[in-house]
Amino acid sequence: MRLLHESALLMICTLRASLFLSALALCACLPGCSTGEGAVPLRLELTEADLAEADKLAPQDLEIATSGTKKLTLEKTDLKFGFIKLTDCAPIVIAREKGFFADEGLSVEVVAQPNWKTLLDNVISGNLDGAHMLSGQPIAATIGFGTSAHVITPFTMDLNGNGITVSNSIWEQMQQNDPALRSEQPPHPITADSLVPIVKSRLASGEKLQMGMVFPTSTHNYELRYWLAASGIHPGMYTESDIGGRTDAEVELSVTPPPMMPATLEAGNIQGYCVGEPWNQQAVAKGIGVPVSTNYDIWKNNPEKVFGVTQEWANANPDTMVAVVKALIRAGKWLDETDDTGKLVNREEAARILSRSDYVGADFDIIRNSMTGYFYFQKSDKRPMPDFNVFYKHYCTYPWYSDGVWFLTQMRRWGQITEPKPAEWYDEIARKVYKPEIYLQAAQMLLDEGLIEKDEVPWDSDGYKPPTSDFIDGVKYDGRDPIGYLNSHKIGNKDSL
Amino acid sequence: MESLKYTLLKIIHVSGLTFLEPVVRLCYGEEPQLQLKKIGRFIVIPSLTFLAFLVAWALIAPVYKTKSGEVPTPAVVWDAAQGVKRFHERESDKQVAYGLSGDERESSLAAVSEQRAILNSLKADADEQVAEASEERTALVAEEMEPLATAYETKKAEFKQAEKRREAALIVKASQIDQRDIDAKNELLAYIRGHEFQTEQERELLKQLKAEQDDVRNLTYAPLQNAMRLQTEIAEKEQYLAKKEEILSKANRSLKLEEEAARLKELKLQYAATTGPDLMPIAQQMLQIEGRMQKIVDSEYAKPWTLPMQIMRSLACVFAGFFLATAIAIPIGVLCGVSPTFMAAVTPFIALFKPVSPIVWLPISLIIVGGVITDPETHWLMVGMSNLPLIGWLQINPAFIASAITVALCSLWPTLVNTALGVASIDKDHLNVARVLRLNFFQRLTKIVIPSALPLIFAGLRISLGVGWMVLIAAELLSSSEGIGKFVWDMFNNGSSETFAQMFVVVFVVGVIGLLLDRIMIIFQRLVSFDGAPAAI
Repeated sequence: MRLLHESALLMICTLRASLFLSALALCACLPGCSTGEGAVPLRLELTEADLAEADKLAPQDLEIATSGTKKLTLEKTDLKFGFIKLTDCAPIVIAREKGFFADEGLSVEVVAQPNWKTLLDNVISGNLDGAHMLSGQPIAATIGFGTSAHVITPFTMDLNGNGITVSNSIWEQMQQNDPALRSEQPPHPITADSLVPIVKSRLASGEKLQMGMVFPTSTHNYELRYWLAASGIHPGMYTESDIGGRTDAEVELSVTPPPMMPATLEAGNIQGYCVGEPWNQQAVAKGIGVPVSTNYDIWKNNPEKVFGVTQEWANANPDTMVAVVKALIRAGKWLDETDDTGKLVNREEAARILSRSDYVGADFDIIRNSMTGYFYFQKSDKRPMPDFNVFYKHYCTYPWYSDGVWFLTQMRRWGQITEPKPAEWYDEIARKVYKPEIYLQAAQMLLDEGLIEKDEVPWDSDGYKPPTSDFIDGVKYDGRDPIGYLNSHKIGNKDSL
Repeated sequence: MESLKYTLLKIIHVSGLTFLEPVVRLCYGEEPQLQLKKIGRFIVIPSLTFLAFLVAWALIAPVYKTKSGEVPTPAVVWDAAQGVKRFHERESDKQVAYGLSGDERESSLAAVSEQRAILNSLKADADEQVAEASEERTALVAEEMEPLATAYETKKAEFKQAEKRREAALIVKASQIDQRDIDAKNELLAYIRGHEFQTEQERELLKQLKAEQDDVRNLTYAPLQNAMRLQTEIAEKEQYLAKKEEILSKANRSLKLEEEAARLKELKLQYAATTGPDLMPIAQQMLQIEGRMQKIVDSEYAKPWTLPMQIMRSLACVFAGFFLATAIAIPIGVLCGVSPTFMAAVTPFIALFKPVSPIVWLPISLIIVGGVITDPETHWLMVGMSNLPLIGWLQINPAFIASAITVALCSLWPTLVNTALGVASIDKDHLNVARVLRLNFFQRLTKIVIPSALPLIFAGLRISLGVGWMVLIAAELLSSSEGIGKFVWDMFNNGSSETFAQMFVVVFVVGVIGLLLDRIMIIFQRLVSFDGAPAAI
């Protein structure tokens, strides 16, 4: 819109001005713009020679030249993106390393951030242009839970990819409570049912089981809570005065940065955690814990990370935004490329790139496990999990409003949103944060350039995924009915609006 | 010759490198026996202890293993240092490649293609080796596993049966007990307790057997490890070369420019040939391309921070903080020394703020800096700094400034206290002379007070710089301001098998730089003192 508007304005101006005047303006502004360090002289001037050469051209040559595709006018080409050392930062890293950013004319620096809070603060303060974010972060920032700022997302980076790991001793106790878990390859999904007696006996002796998650508004927090609550364990409520979310808790959850999880578990400060890769596989490799569940079991193909920027930044750099999304979509597609047998062909290379010390930096073997579609639950229990990390399939990269609404319902369910809200509010906030229009613009350009297929993008969607019951407790979720969804859970806030 | 000797001795004295003194004296044949003794004490013994330390380290490290990793041996640390260096060299190389043009670019591209071809042949070999070694290992594990697994299974079955037998026996026993037979009931209780105990013990035994299996699964097979190391090395090099090739070809600055220039040329001809309102969109497109070309000319390869660059930035940060601290501490210190009243007024603040940890100062200064510089991209200070010739590349940002302020806040105290002490303890005679000469306040300050307090001031500065260097790493780590602290944190967060070794590399880097900084301050301190103030080690 903006572009159209501008060019229309310019058009009117020139119609008024004579050719002579516009030529004069050209000459006046050019010397000022060109400060090239002697590399290539940049001077736009028409000479007699040009005229003479143009006279020689046949009219059809000119015809072809006019119909060249219009390029984006990048407002900013040197960008700085933040990420946390998790394998699901892959789209950003791959877009840089495989040259997808470069193809758009962008020079991107990617900088590791120490934790999610600093990352968000850096995006808001403008130190970073954009970042790999937890799905809940843009939403929470926009509604003002925690740091307040209008953050948007035009791109979902991946689906699934998290796991819940418990310490060895808890796993043994779980095995005692449920004989089915005693085999080398226990049947999945593993619910928290076998954890209930442990929680109860701990409570009886006056202590609470401690578990780690990565951020109050992280997918991990909601998933861990969902898993516990599905078996009737109360994970605690957030209230106005309790921002740690421990009111009425039977299991206490606390924040630990992802890379610190294995060390904290080993030190005994927590007895379990929910985190992204490679930190579950790390626990298996080091023999300090056992992953009991992945979030694929908790909710099949749940949205995980998004690419977030501030609304302000997107307003100031609309074309750059589209260029970035284009590169990210291509990176997602590259990551999910399969051969005829359905094998992911590029993941090995991706794991190699991610294992570089300035990216995720964990050992190649460990990153490779989950990235190439396998997951070790124990040393003796390696299972294929082709959809453990999804970067492109299932319309994964499209920013769904229904995803935003799900996170909002979880924030309400656990009291992070302190007051009941009407159903329309959920939709309104989701629309404020999720920006499919930017995504579709980028996808359209990629389609025109022949880089993606038509059936890879949900062109005509209204932004809501069809209702699904793919949850560990089988509760049905319909993004259009957030209140009904809230009320269908046993534990947590219920609203009667 | 003699004069050279004294110059050398003077230099040695001033720089505090006294261990070199006997060497110089020995060269001039002065009391050889005494000098040799000194050399033995000050050079040979420290070298030997360092060597002993290395040997002890190399011997002890492999023994100490935890679940989080192994303590690296000196050789592993050396490898890690090489890895850090290699990363820096490769990234610098890519940066150079981005700017290459013309023949240079082409020859470089040809060289890279050649290297890649060689590497590809090596890669096949390495892959094969890994596959072979992996098979060998699997076979080995399977071989060792088999008896363990069968032992486990038989034991498990055995135990299960035994448990069942015991249970059956107990049930039989139970069914024979009379309802009022207390003794028998108690006896049964004891039996059941024994049975449970037995079951528990058997379970423990099974667990042990299981753990043995896990150990076998974890078996480190040296040939496989070596093959994998080689494979990783090749894969990393391949990745680097592929990226370099891309940078030399489609992502190269000069090529991108050529491409745009060609388009521009085309449009220009069209512009020349066209008349009427159609000129407008063409001219706009031309200008767009021109803008793009300008951006390409100014563009640089987005190079990630590497340790040498981070060290430079850390040094810049520590000096920024140190100068800030000096600028605050010396004037206040002088005032404190001159006026007991002023001293009394500021003492509570000094006492209150001195013990505060950098971890507390940092968030405070981050908030304050963030409040002043709300938009770092357009703020005049940031823009001005980024355009400065020598420090522009340091990318000074609010996090850098906050770290520098934290360094200043933590390191100004030794200077302040020492300055106050130095000024307060000036010889009364000197001040009397000043009074006799009727020097005014500023003359007294510049001619008497500061010169006589200088040695102590510099002693304070030296401690301040040391403190600042220590504080900086913590500040950078917290503020994620690029520097050694960020490097430490990133490597720690990687949690890879190399992490510990990289930490050790940092220990040496930080130590050596701290030592050099200290030496520099010693030289200054010696230069300003008249009585040859003794320098500590």
